[in-house]
Amino acid sequence: MNCVINSGSLYETSSYFYIRKSEVRVKYYGLIESVVLSFLNNYFKESVLAIVELIDVKKVYPLGKTEVHAVKGVSFEICKGDFISIAGPSGSGKSTILNMIGCIDVPTEGSVLINGTETGGLSDKNITELRHEVLGFIFQSFNLIPVLNVYENVEFPLLLGKSDMSKKEKTDWIDMLIEEVGLSEWRNHKPNELSGGQRQRVAIARALATKPEIVLADEPTANLDSVTSEAIITLMKKINRDLGTTFIFSTHDPSIVEVADHIIKLRDGLITENYRHEDSRACGSDD
Amino acid sequence: MRDVKIALRNLTRQKKRTILLAAAIAFGIYIITMINGFTGSFIENVSENFSNMLAGHIFVEGVEKSETGRTLNIVRNDEELMLAIEETNTPWKYITKRSDLGGTLIFAGESMRQSITGANWEIEEYFKQRIILKEGTFEQMQEEKQGIILSEKVAEKLNVEIGDRLLVKCRTYTGQQNVGEFVLTAVLIDASMFGGTTAYANISYVNELLNLQPEEYMTLGIYLEDMDLIDQAAAALYANLQTKVSMFERQSDDDENPIIAMLEQQDEEEWEGLRFQLMTLNDIMKEVQQIVNVLNTAALIILLVLFGIIMVGVTNTFRMVLMERTKEIGTMRAVGMQRGIVRKLFLYEAFFISVIGVVSGLILAGLTMFILMQIYWGVETPAFMLMKNGYMTFILSPLQVLANFAIVSGLTLVAAFFPSNKAAKLQPADALRSTN
Repeated sequence: MNCVINSGSLYETSSYFYIRKSEVRVKYYGLIESVVLSFLNNYFKESVLAIVELIDVKKVYPLGKTEVHAVKGVSFEICKGDFISIAGPSGSGKSTILNMIGCIDVPTEGSVLINGTETGGLSDKNITELRHEVLGFIFQSFNLIPVLNVYENVEFPLLLGKSDMSKKEKTDWIDMLIEEVGLSEWRNHKPNELSGGQRQRVAIARALATKPEIVLADEPTANLDSVTSEAIITLMKKINRDLGTTFIFSTHDPSIVEVADHIIKLRDGLITENYRHEDSRACGSDD
Repeated sequence: MRDVKIALRNLTRQKKRTILLAAAIAFGIYIITMINGFTGSFIENVSENFSNMLAGHIFVEGVEKSETGRTLNIVRNDEELMLAIEETNTPWKYITKRSDLGGTLIFAGESMRQSITGANWEIEEYFKQRIILKEGTFEQMQEEKQGIILSEKVAEKLNVEIGDRLLVKCRTYTGQQNVGEFVLTAVLIDASMFGGTTAYANISYVNELLNLQPEEYMTLGIYLEDMDLIDQAAAALYANLQTKVSMFERQSDDDENPIIAMLEQQDEEEWEGLRFQLMTLNDIMKEVQQIVNVLNTAALIILLVLFGIIMVGVTNTFRMVLMERTKEIGTMRAVGMQRGIVRKLFLYEAFFISVIGVVSGLILAGLTMFILMQIYWGVETPAFMLMKNGYMTFILSPLQVLANFAIVSGLTLVAAFFPSNKAAKLQPADALRSTN
């Protein structure tokens, strides 16, 4: 079952509920619309197909007296469980798009929907909660907290919000993540005692700590050598396959781009290519 | 707990900076604690030294106007005074009756001006406990009617030894010339800042020289069991005495020194015969209290100036911290840290620095006080009046320490608040783009 709100009416459109804000035309009822969409999408969360949707997103940065148009009107959808690369040369808008998907930046125009929720209307508190519960981040320069050791860095996001896990469950989960990224022996080491590859593994484990639906990786391999880069991508792919976590990563490395199921190529703030690999599962299919 | 842990660990990131900032706070606390400790004991030591010197906490003096219009200090009959003390249940420990004689001591061509206090050594137990005799005993004083106790310095200057006889040139209480003879019975170690100018003798002989009757004296001194009861006991005694004898009015105006006000009454008012005046150690100490208040105010100003400077340091340090950790703040915000927690992290850090500073400053001040309290500074130092038997003492009220801690922590938190607020308001994307 699929349904669409159009001018305030709910329509059945397919075998799952999928409510797109773009199809809601009630311009002056934005708040009610967001609440209704959020409720319906959360209610039928398991059935939602497009986990991320960008609708005509533009981003303009002021640069002194001039303006930089980093993203010039981009629309695309990302399916749940996908392994996506956003590729393009430096300055093409990859990081800006990732930041907007990650709710750490807001579009100048257009909408970003996460799980069907329009993020633009959320308060800082709610958006922070959204980041904490739904999103995980992997940064180019790892961004680990230097005063915390490997275990504590991975544990850190778990301490920031409410958790249903008991203390033991938490410890087991973190230890499992650390083992998964192959750093069990380095559990009590501080970031400055680790290599670049190891740090990025810690960052991956940290990104997965809250069991997010989406992990955003901004050029995760840019600071790593080719062998380590390959290992990191393989690890991400494995987690994507094992846990069903949606991975969205940006890169300018052509050899890594093609590993993804879904590839979005950018140039000068616009999409030049948006395609899926033939061998990847179709968006919305169960296999 | 997580925030506290991170804040504590953050302090170890720039150890030198943390130490320097805590040291600045410690220095401020050290100075203010030393001043507070000193002024705390100042009033007590000065009060005690004065009470020893003046022999009491409450004093009643008889003032008589002679036919020539001259005022004379004399208590001819103390029946009414003793009755009033009894009726008001004044909590006294010792009662002293003293007469004072101003005279010049002469021995073998050497002379020296001295204030000679005549006391009854049988009842001056407290005074006897306080005085340290270098030579001779109080028993000898009681046996020798013309005995005199001189300070070590005066005895040396006059070149007298125990048993030597000294001449005294003085005036009677009515102002006539008189001459007498004392026998050096004991030598004391200067026990007060007036030790070099005061000698002690038997009241019976001093009265003879003053031409007073044996039962007469000049000042009645009352040592109370507790110095805190001075004002209360004095008020009750004064009220009772008013019903029995003619009293000079006690000045209660806080702006005026009560003793000066009383002396002015003697000069300005029309009166005749015998009147009494009641004074307390607190009246005398009012001036000293004013000095203490000035010192405390100065200490507070020093504290505020010092912490004004430290606050600038704290603000600058946290601005630097903010610059250094911008990216880290961006990361923490990105992974779900709320603004309030970012702010708290900074404030915890500032609070811990202030705690480290305050505790270090207090420990340092405590150590310094302990060392200073062990040193015997002697009784000849001009600061003797501020000490207790030649030793420095410090009295700190826990409330004052807590108040200082609260002020310092409060100011540190205020200083850190602005950078912490700025950190909390950072947009995650902007923070992550930062090159720091």
